[in-house]
Amino acid sequence: MDVLKPQIGDWWHALLQGAGLSSGWIVFLDALVITLILLGLGLTSVLFAVWLERKLAARVQDRLGPNRVGPYGLVQTVADALKLLTKEDITPDNAERLSYNLAPGLAVFAVLMLLLVIPFGPGLIGADINVGVLYLVAMGSVGIMAILMAGWSSNNKYALLGGFRAVAQLLSYEIPMILAMSVPVLFAGTMSMEKLVEQQAHGRWFGVVMPAAFFLYFLAALAENERTPFDLLEADSEIVAGYHIEYSGMKFAWFFLAFFLNTLILSAIATTLFLGGWRGPFVEQVPALGIFYFLAKSFVLVFAFMWIRATFPRLRIDQMMAFAWKVMVPTGLVLVLVAAVFVKLPVAPLVRDVLLFLVNVFILLVVAGLVGRHLRLQIKRLSEGAAVVS
Amino acid sequence: MAQAQSAVATESLPYNDVIPGAVVGRDGEALIVNREKLLELARYLRDHEGYDYLSSVTGVDNLTHPKRQGVERFEVVYHLYSTKRGGGPLVLKARAPEDDPEIPSVVSIWPGADFQEREIWDLFGVRFPGHPNLRRILLWEGFNGHPMRKDWKEAYYEEEHKPYSSRWPYGHYPREEYKYPWQEERAVYKDNLVFPKGFDPDRWQAPEVEYRLGQDIYRELEKLKTDRIIVNIGPQHPSTHGVFRMVVALEGETILGLEPEVGYLHRNHEKIGERNTYLMNIPYTDRLDYINSMSNNLGYVLAVEKLMGKVEVPERAKYLRIIMAELTRVLNHMFAIGFLLNDLGAFFTPALYALEERELILDLFEAASGSRMMCNYMRPGGVAYDVSEEWVAQAKKLVFERLPRAVDELDYYLTENEILLARTKGVGYLSPEDAIAYSTSGPVLRGSGVPYDIRKVEPYCIYDRFDFDIVTEDGGDVYARYMVRIREARESLKILRQALKDLPGGPVIGKKKYTFRIPPGEAYQRIEAPKGELGFYLVSDGTANPYRYHVRSPSFINLTALGPMCVGHKVADSVGILGSIDIVLGEVDR
Amino acid sequence: MILKVVFLLVSLFTVGSALMVVTHKNLFSSALFLVASFFGVAALYVLLEAEFLAVAQVLIYVGAIATLIIFAIMLTRGMMSGRTSPRNDQAAWAGLASVVLGLVLLYVVVFRVQWPVVEKPVPPDTIEQLGRALVGRYVVPFEVASVLLLAALVGAVLIAREKEV
Repeated sequence: MDVLKPQIGDWWHALLQGAGLSSGWIVFLDALVITLILLGLGLTSVLFAVWLERKLAARVQDRLGPNRVGPYGLVQTVADALKLLTKEDITPDNAERLSYNLAPGLAVFAVLMLLLVIPFGPGLIGADINVGVLYLVAMGSVGIMAILMAGWSSNNKYALLGGFRAVAQLLSYEIPMILAMSVPVLFAGTMSMEKLVEQQAHGRWFGVVMPAAFFLYFLAALAENERTPFDLLEADSEIVAGYHIEYSGMKFAWFFLAFFLNTLILSAIATTLFLGGWRGPFVEQVPALGIFYFLAKSFVLVFAFMWIRATFPRLRIDQMMAFAWKVMVPTGLVLVLVAAVFVKLPVAPLVRDVLLFLVNVFILLVVAGLVGRHLRLQIKRLSEGAAVVS
Repeated sequence: MAQAQSAVATESLPYNDVIPGAVVGRDGEALIVNREKLLELARYLRDHEGYDYLSSVTGVDNLTHPKRQGVERFEVVYHLYSTKRGGGPLVLKARAPEDDPEIPSVVSIWPGADFQEREIWDLFGVRFPGHPNLRRILLWEGFNGHPMRKDWKEAYYEEEHKPYSSRWPYGHYPREEYKYPWQEERAVYKDNLVFPKGFDPDRWQAPEVEYRLGQDIYRELEKLKTDRIIVNIGPQHPSTHGVFRMVVALEGETILGLEPEVGYLHRNHEKIGERNTYLMNIPYTDRLDYINSMSNNLGYVLAVEKLMGKVEVPERAKYLRIIMAELTRVLNHMFAIGFLLNDLGAFFTPALYALEERELILDLFEAASGSRMMCNYMRPGGVAYDVSEEWVAQAKKLVFERLPRAVDELDYYLTENEILLARTKGVGYLSPEDAIAYSTSGPVLRGSGVPYDIRKVEPYCIYDRFDFDIVTEDGGDVYARYMVRIREARESLKILRQALKDLPGGPVIGKKKYTFRIPPGEAYQRIEAPKGELGFYLVSDGTANPYRYHVRSPSFINLTALGPMCVGHKVADSVGILGSIDIVLGEVDR
Repeated sequence: MILKVVFLLVSLFTVGSALMVVTHKNLFSSALFLVASFFGVAALYVLLEAEFLAVAQVLIYVGAIATLIIFAIMLTRGMMSGRTSPRNDQAAWAGLASVVLGLVLLYVVVFRVQWPVVEKPVPPDTIEQLGRALVGRYVVPFEVASVLLLAALVGAVLIAREKEV
């Protein structure tokens, strides 16, 4: 398989063949090793991300954050995870057992499956399937199913409301997200994650060439990840915890895991699609740097996610839906159109990139201006018309 | 007394020329009203005399009052004010005999009487015909009797006074639930519990909640044929500021009706108050609005002083009282803003910024009174302890340098934030007329553009010496209430700066007294507490403890307006609106 | 050999889930089995090396259609209305009809269709070929389908608006 190619992979295969294993076994062991590596990488990153989130929020809020377990409280998450595992597992009396117990697993499954197509470094990809981007989107929608199952089967009204919100929000934001993702895909002419990274050589990152698409993706990812200001699925001040209100102990930990994995993976996707993936200086000479670059870029995005979470209040459901359908979807459509036109423009690549960049900035400014104007008007109307309405 | 009025005397009483026979006598400053004519008189007072603000409705049981023997047993006292003219109250009293405890409801005239009349029904057993929703409010339906009646005995405790010997005779606790496990659910106290007649705990169901509706939006939504769900938000809900329940009828995410259910923290503060001496009550008032114990102290102490008549308060104590009260206001407003943002979904950041300043103010309180939150600082005739020079220096540093910056910081970070604007503008609208009608007070009232601040309209303490403005905002929405709080915090700092600059020397209290000779009489003292109008109504019969002790708590009465404010908005907004009212359950449930 | 076993397992899973869809007493669970059955079909596509179709199957059927079905169930049924019988008076006739229909289909599929058997490997750029076919040979059906969807969209908006007025 493609992982660890070329040197280590060859060495590994030679080793297996030397041990006298048949090709079937080699394929199987390959898959096993890849799975283990991906799992290890994903779960360790989650541990780190949870710590980062807590520490970051604490710093934003003028406090210290976890600082007792391990240096800088780094092991705090491990302690918390262990604690969660020992907690009592509660199933509500009237819960629909099957889906109730299946939902947390499905949630984690859907996210873990995404790890498969993410290129962590040069050649470090689980499986470079030629419909990589589409695969990401498809698996993302399986996560919705998990939330729905959890929300419905808990037999709890808060959970049900959380489920309603989940469908409305995640389905709505999936569309601008797909649109934003299809811009680099159109531009690169491939859906393979590996090839997308290859196309972004020499600092020609798609995020730089098409900042509007990147921004759109980032906003949609915020919503897909249920993060402030779009964290309505689990809005603690409104519907307590939403779909996972009834879950405790291990099962809750799974949802928690899925949530943070999702943050990481959405950042990783953004890095791959828009920020040149594992590309960076000297990466051709020292391939191991690729992993470092990739993780660094991803965590910059994760940092931004957390920063926003610690700073902003939350939107209301109707405002959120209006934003998705009235702002993000049209913008996404325009961006796809623009990208499609520019791909076929008969000019030198550099000129095309510059032009595309300018058009993107222009679109961004126009949309921001329109939204701002609309908001001001609406706020004015609301504060004037409040007396008439009520 | 009332029945003995002759026709001639009746004629000399006010308002009888307009509504003949309405006022039948006087009791001190109060006018005694014929209950048959109460509604007529009330409507006249509201429409023609400008008494549009019903501050407080409360009941008194005259059963054992030595001066009121021979008077009809139940008395309902109305304190009316005018928001246009300002000034003192018009006190009405309507009386009802024991065998017919009914007084017409004034909810149709002042909707703000809603919760208060329910409370009187709950605690005194006086019925209010015409009340739209006369259910118990603080106690549950299975509660036997009406505890504020003077002849009420605690269940299975037959003696007149606490402290008890034991609730369970000889200390035996009938733990028969081991034998019958289901008994635990039915009645833990087994035979030790009495239910009202016709009440069966096994078959009891929570009463159908009646929503105050009528808005067009409701009828609009009625047409949609989707599942309507009733959601109980609370009592254990992290963002409701305590154990508080909102029964919400939802159409999707839109609120069709909302009914607050309170009483989870009820401890019958007023009954405890009747048992305590006047001095013993001061620490109990700390527990009302436990965020602002200083202003609770102040309100209660002022009420006692009013009842005592002439009380000399040393000059330094007067200033210290103002300083404490205003520090409390700054603290409360920053706290409220921080947690409003929490309710709107911010991840604790504004709340923690506010808490940081609060801790510094609490440090001052601790240095002055010995306690951070339960200060127990004021005394009739002054304050309990003096403050040191260092304290004043510290307070000056805080008030002159740090707090203004902190308020500006909150303002800078939050006020122009688009999400905050989008979430708060036009949400939870309350028109000025409604705000007055629902007897709201404090930032809620002023957020609706009614310039009504008791510190100005009916000055108490020495507020008339300071230069400050009444803050109003015209929006009437959550944002306006938020802005009122920000600006009021600034005004408070203005007062604080003046007060700290002029703080005179000298004693802080005359002779420390532990018993008070309070002459018989009654007093209603209200102050502008941070959350609104905090009133204490005291009736003395000349003994060491108050005969009747009533707290008009701003949180409780502001909640009356919650339902109407929420209808038509989304679930998420209801939490924000609640946050903008800024309630504290210790005060709501009392 | 292994492929055949896998194929059998996946087929059994798919058909079993499909059966559960029509026989399960709880509507919500039926919908979930429908999802499982969609997944099975996607797995079959993978076995046929049609990755694009498999992913599209998951995306459209699981991600969109099944989610909408479940959402509709959640909105219209009482929250946990529990068991509803999947049978009614016409169950027998409907069963008969579907069995006959199924047999006819099976007959046609097995005996009447000429299945082209090609030995050459699946080309790596299936997506590109699919794309070309979609805007080349099959452009008319493609456009007709999109017009139909547009009409449905407009209709949905219209229906939604009517309630508002």
